[in-house]
Amino acid sequence: MRRIVTGNQAIALGALRAGVRVVTGYPGTPSTGCITHLLSLDLPGRHVEWSTNEKVAFEIAAGAAWAGQRAMVTMKMSGVNVAFDALISIAYSGTNGGLVIYVADDPGVTAGMAEQDTRGFARMADLPILEPADAAEAYALAQDAFALSEAVGTPVFLRLTTATALAHSSIEVDEPTPPAERDVILEKEIGRYTKAGSAICRVQHARLIERLERAGDWIRERGLNRRALAGDPGGLGILSCGAATAYVTEALDAVGLSGADVSILRVSSSNPFPATEATALLAHCGAVLVLEELEPYVERDLIVLARAVGFSGQIVGKLDGTLPRIGEYSLDVVREGLRVAAGLPSGDQTGEPSSTVLSSAALAASRPITVCAGCPHRGTYLAIEAAIRAAGFAKDEVMVTGDIGCTILGMNPPFDLLWNEVSMGSSLGIAQGYAHAGLTTPVVATIGDSTFFHGGIPGLVNAIQHRVPLTLIVMDNGWTAMTGMQTNPGTDEARQAGGRRVDLEPVVRALGPERVTVVDPYDLATTTSAIAESLTDQDGVGVVIARRECAIQAGRRGVRYGTVTVDPEKCILCMQCLKITGCPALSIRRVESTELGESPEGDSPGRRAIEVDQDLCNGCGLCVSFCPTDALGDSRRESLGGESRQGDPSPGGKGRST
Amino acid sequence: MSACDVVLVGVGGQGVLTIADLVLHAAFEGDVPATYAPTKGMAQRGGFVKAEIRLGRENVGPRIAEGQADLVVAMERSEGLKGLAFLKPGGTFLLYDHVWAPTGVMLGADAYPSREQVLAAIASVTSDTIVLDPNDRLTVDGSPVRPNILVLGAAVGRTPLGKILAAESMAATIEARWSKATESNCTAFRFGLASGEPAFDELLGRSHDGERLDGKASE
Repeated sequence: MRRIVTGNQAIALGALRAGVRVVTGYPGTPSTGCITHLLSLDLPGRHVEWSTNEKVAFEIAAGAAWAGQRAMVTMKMSGVNVAFDALISIAYSGTNGGLVIYVADDPGVTAGMAEQDTRGFARMADLPILEPADAAEAYALAQDAFALSEAVGTPVFLRLTTATALAHSSIEVDEPTPPAERDVILEKEIGRYTKAGSAICRVQHARLIERLERAGDWIRERGLNRRALAGDPGGLGILSCGAATAYVTEALDAVGLSGADVSILRVSSSNPFPATEATALLAHCGAVLVLEELEPYVERDLIVLARAVGFSGQIVGKLDGTLPRIGEYSLDVVREGLRVAAGLPSGDQTGEPSSTVLSSAALAASRPITVCAGCPHRGTYLAIEAAIRAAGFAKDEVMVTGDIGCTILGMNPPFDLLWNEVSMGSSLGIAQGYAHAGLTTPVVATIGDSTFFHGGIPGLVNAIQHRVPLTLIVMDNGWTAMTGMQTNPGTDEARQAGGRRVDLEPVVRALGPERVTVVDPYDLATTTSAIAESLTDQDGVGVVIARRECAIQAGRRGVRYGTVTVDPEKCILCMQCLKITGCPALSIRRVESTELGESPEGDSPGRRAIEVDQDLCNGCGLCVSFCPTDALGDSRRESLGGESRQGDPSPGGKGRST
Repeated sequence: MSACDVVLVGVGGQGVLTIADLVLHAAFEGDVPATYAPTKGMAQRGGFVKAEIRLGRENVGPRIAEGQADLVVAMERSEGLKGLAFLKPGGTFLLYDHVWAPTGVMLGADAYPSREQVLAAIASVTSDTIVLDPNDRLTVDGSPVRPNILVLGAAVGRTPLGKILAAESMAATIEARWSKATESNCTAFRFGLASGEPAFDELLGRSHDGERLDGKASE
């Protein structure tokens, strides 16, 4: 049946159609939608989970595949860095059941991190990679990936890029196939499943290279790389990969070329390089345009092949400077490539915005990303800054390292608090480096709960072992929030699909840092003094767990901690509340004269006051303490969900405050 | 079949992506080839949001290049300037002239474009401009209607989008979407459809109930 899906959903549905049994992953834009979709379905006989990190997720999928089942792991491109240690090892061993590694790359960097190209990892690991150009191909190639994996015994990469992963379109979808009834394979063979010694590893390496060759044969027999030679010999050829392929037809129209005159090789698998098809393209064409986002991997392979077969025509791509290595490809990039490759005159400026439009765009107001109304991180940021002052330091002499996730938003105004962001868990290692570098002022590391579980624990263990004077602030909101509210080990058990809650507080205590304090970031005074105490005491590691559930998730259950009101007569519009908290629930409005007890005739134009958007405000009350005239009131009331501000601050509702 | 490339821009929380999703579903029901690619920032609210919708053509990628959109719909004045680069010369620009001032603007630290600046910039690309005034607050049973559905109505009723998606099929999609507030949303859509008509001014005469200030920039 025909239905609307995103590329991520198409991968999920393709895997279900292929009878996948185990799907694991760690959230990361733009890949998240695949598992989110699977978790929204009732899937008896299958296991789907958000795992602690990408390495763990990959290992679970690999274990299931070694045991003979079909398994898939999903992640964004940065996750491959985490998983790769295990991945290269499993690549050497190969697999029994189908093992598919779905990665969404992010050219253009819509969601942060490096603009890295997963095809490089596929090459480094000698693994085949399939690259769908649209949702329909994603659905089909997800199924091919499992078939290829089992036919050759190799893990297979499946790669989308942002636009394809997130775009919605309608495709033809068949009913899911239940996982095959397979006996678990229990094979004890150290020559295959361990890496103990040169003899074992060299044999595995040889087999890995041989598997990639066989994968190339399988892909060629299936015709996954589609070649269409057209026009007279010596004409223009295009070799296009992945998402870029979707713009070829349109770009040909745009430059006035007929598809009947241009040869095309649509590469759905760039590793192994489809040399047979590319040789035919080179033999037929006088010039070839290579379209691939990010790195010029295929282009280099084509140039090497061109030399081997004596092709003397032009190869247009990134290496000759025509096309960019940065950003997404869309119609304009493909059009420019075609123009150069076809030798068409430049000067056609169709589509380029005029200087008026460009200078107008510069007038648009900037919208720095900040934390949501009621976000508990706001309290933590404000407390860190106040604690730095209370401990006798200036803000610009205290290193506060940041980490991945919502917690990094403290880098932006009005907080301007965090100095850096590296990778999952790096706040701890970077902070220790600064401490060893001779910094005499305190060093603070900040990290969220999911990031702590993912990659923060080894860094904390290291800091404790080496007695590094350091304050770690774990901002525990109970959710993996930035990627759209996924569960993590610390999420309240009632909101986990059958999973147990792993409370990070006893985990931290068991590691034995010098000090551990659990605070409610809505309680500014207590949070500030806990952090200030740790900054003052430079003996070893102090950990402050700032614990309060994500305001968005609590709000979805109807939790309000109180009602913040404004007395317009008292508001002098000093805007301290807005300046200090930057809360999106605060704005400025015109005050009606009747509200001030004046007669309607005594209109006072220009009289304005702070306004609280009651739909957004959850009554966290952080703004109230910054009002110098008591214009902001905080009338506490029992929340609809029965969770009060004074109550247990744990995201899970079962923690302790000490 | 005619084709239409639409770029929608606005601020997270305005329902930009909801409009795009409704258009996609109406196209799907009408067997019109369609893709929709969302772009949103990391924040829940208050960040730049863009939706690219491509209607009526097979074999096209999801992104719309600059200068290629037949229609740009801006739900917010300042964001309209970012959407303008996508508009084809002579294309249609629909501006819902709402001002959502970022904190820096409210504090007087950052600049915000005036209505005249935005309209002048649009005029350099097209004369086919429709402006909806957010101060024309329309209500159903005393509650304000959702601006995004109002804007969708205006887009279907008054721009090239309506040549591909009939008002009736769009209304049916809206009706099927929400179990609650169906009447309010359908009314919002009809208000939008009628927004260029004399009847609309009559509606305004009844429901104009004052304005809301969104900070200094709206003055």
